[in-house]
Amino acid sequence: MFTRFHLSMAWLHTWFGLVLGYVLMACFFFGTLSVFDREFDRWALPDTRFEPQPMPSFDKVLQPAFAQLQPSPVEYDLQMPVLHDPALGAPTPRLQLPPDEYWAYTTHRDPVLAIGAGFRVPLAKDPTAENHIHGDATLDPRSGALVRADQLKIGSQWFYPMHYGLNWHWNNLGIYIVGLAALGMLAALVSGVVMHRKVFKEFFTFRPKKHTQRATLDLHNLTGVVALPFHFFFAFTGLLIFAGYYWFPVSQFQLKALHDQHEVVEARHTGLPHARSGVAAPLASVDAMVAEAQRRWAARDAAGQVGFLQLHHLGDANGYVSVYRAGSDRVALVGEGIHFKASTGEVLREDPAPSAVGQITEFLTGLHLQHFKHWLLRWLYVLGGLLGCVCIATGFVFFVEKRKQQHAKTDALGSRLVDALAVTTVTGMVLAAVGMLVANRLLPAELANKGEWEKWSFWGVWLLALVHALARSGPVARARINPAWREQSWALAVLAVAAVVLNAVTTGDHLLKTVITAPYWPVAGVDLSLLVTAGVAVWAARHLARRERPATAPTTNAHPTPLAEVAHG
Amino acid sequence: MAEALWLITAGALSLAGMAWLALAMEGHWSQVMQRPAEAAIRTRQALRMFGAIALPLALLACLQADRPSMAVLVWLMLLAGSAVLVAMLLAHRPQALRAALPLGGPGGPGIRRGAS
Repeated sequence: MFTRFHLSMAWLHTWFGLVLGYVLMACFFFGTLSVFDREFDRWALPDTRFEPQPMPSFDKVLQPAFAQLQPSPVEYDLQMPVLHDPALGAPTPRLQLPPDEYWAYTTHRDPVLAIGAGFRVPLAKDPTAENHIHGDATLDPRSGALVRADQLKIGSQWFYPMHYGLNWHWNNLGIYIVGLAALGMLAALVSGVVMHRKVFKEFFTFRPKKHTQRATLDLHNLTGVVALPFHFFFAFTGLLIFAGYYWFPVSQFQLKALHDQHEVVEARHTGLPHARSGVAAPLASVDAMVAEAQRRWAARDAAGQVGFLQLHHLGDANGYVSVYRAGSDRVALVGEGIHFKASTGEVLREDPAPSAVGQITEFLTGLHLQHFKHWLLRWLYVLGGLLGCVCIATGFVFFVEKRKQQHAKTDALGSRLVDALAVTTVTGMVLAAVGMLVANRLLPAELANKGEWEKWSFWGVWLLALVHALARSGPVARARINPAWREQSWALAVLAVAAVVLNAVTTGDHLLKTVITAPYWPVAGVDLSLLVTAGVAVWAARHLARRERPATAPTTNAHPTPLAEVAHG
Repeated sequence: MAEALWLITAGALSLAGMAWLALAMEGHWSQVMQRPAEAAIRTRQALRMFGAIALPLALLACLQADRPSMAVLVWLMLLAGSAVLVAMLLAHRPQALRAALPLGGPGGPGIRRGAS
């Protein structure tokens, strides 16, 4: 019945799924949270809890804010020795670096906007290169005041980078590991469908009352199959978004000359100056340019707000201003950029409509990055992400269930270790995320480097979960359930409720207020989701307690036909 | 507002379609109706057809609410959500799916005709 092909697919699915599953779990879980990253930001930074704002006036609000930006000291120490040529003179002090580029970015879910500047190193080793040292900030567009920089936007600056790079910055290793896991996931999906063989016959099949191994496999198949398009397209488009990045070693070294030449050719083609001219020039009204861009979008039947604004070669005759449209009304991630000469405000170029291939790429990357305004689809993405989490988690449980009897007989450690790591990546990871939110509300607001403390609490909780899962893994060696599953579920319920209570106490934004008297859904949504999490955790803990009890009686291990039913895997 | 109504319609069509497709299957039919599936072959064939029509109709409803690129995504995710919901109902409250039968619940005219 089993062909060699089936067996090799089963091997691939089992072992790639197991090893990469731990990484994929993080990608799926934090990806799911990232659907509402801006809402977590609001929860974590109470002084940014107001309505989303459009891109503010450049002339009145942005320009004075840009003037306050400074080059990052860390980047200065790191990049100055690389970019500066000591033969030409002493290094320019950090605060005397002239700004060369400004940008501002916002979305339909952002009350505050991200702004940044690229500062030019004047005495550079390679004058034709960009030579930028960056500085960025968060701006309250209502007042023009900068938001304190040492706070962490937990959604967009922690959960989101966790999703695509595990927050492991050393040599960007995290991004490469996630890329490898996404590739492995595509293989796991194909091999999984090949192994399943009853994709349609068992499309709706879930038999929770059967023994754990059967029920787990049902759930694994169900969550994998019904959301197969989601799983496939998110792994695929994730790879696509980073496709250019994964080639980093080649593009930065072997292909660098080609890349630089391409930039020059492209600049000639678009008419947008590639470098500074060296001739000083003033800046015309950027607000007038923005108004003109909006008029041109409206003329194309695509009226909209500005999502991204960028000023190049500041104060130079070659300076130009690029205005990009926010993509809140469509899937495709299109900027429809319009570029103006900075000194006069005349239009230099309108980005042409993309080619057919370009349109497909924009659709595929857009469906993953979701700049669109569609709350139902956002929640459906959350559902897809959670189905992915269940699929991976049940994969772990099935792996352990299938082997633990055998391992108990032979004293092998495999299933015990796999199970402990599964506890760490399933309940432990949720604990770390919720623990971070609790820390965010417990740590005093005025604490210096508050964001760093929150990061440490995240890793700390996760490490504790790992230690706990390993310490309590003894029963698995006797083919029983690790009580850490249940205990961490209880801990999760407690922490999730604590986060909601602490939010109400420290900010006054309790659910009665955020839902009824002064509705503010970004915060209410996070609070309600935390309460649902607590509810599910309590249900799971009680369910596990019931399952642990009969496990003391050896008779339940004798299922008459488990191997016949669960033949593959 | 019209968009919301179309999306609700799409959700209802996709859920009903998935429920009908499930009921058309031998195992699930007897699980829900507590009667042998062989006796209702014609009813189940009709249900399969209803299901096969409802799912594309759900796509049409999505297309009324949003531009096509967005509608396709909403539709695919609604299908996934509906399938999970139907599977969970089958696992925990199979009788609840009798509500999905177009011609009334158990013993309704459609069933009796199919069962006879």
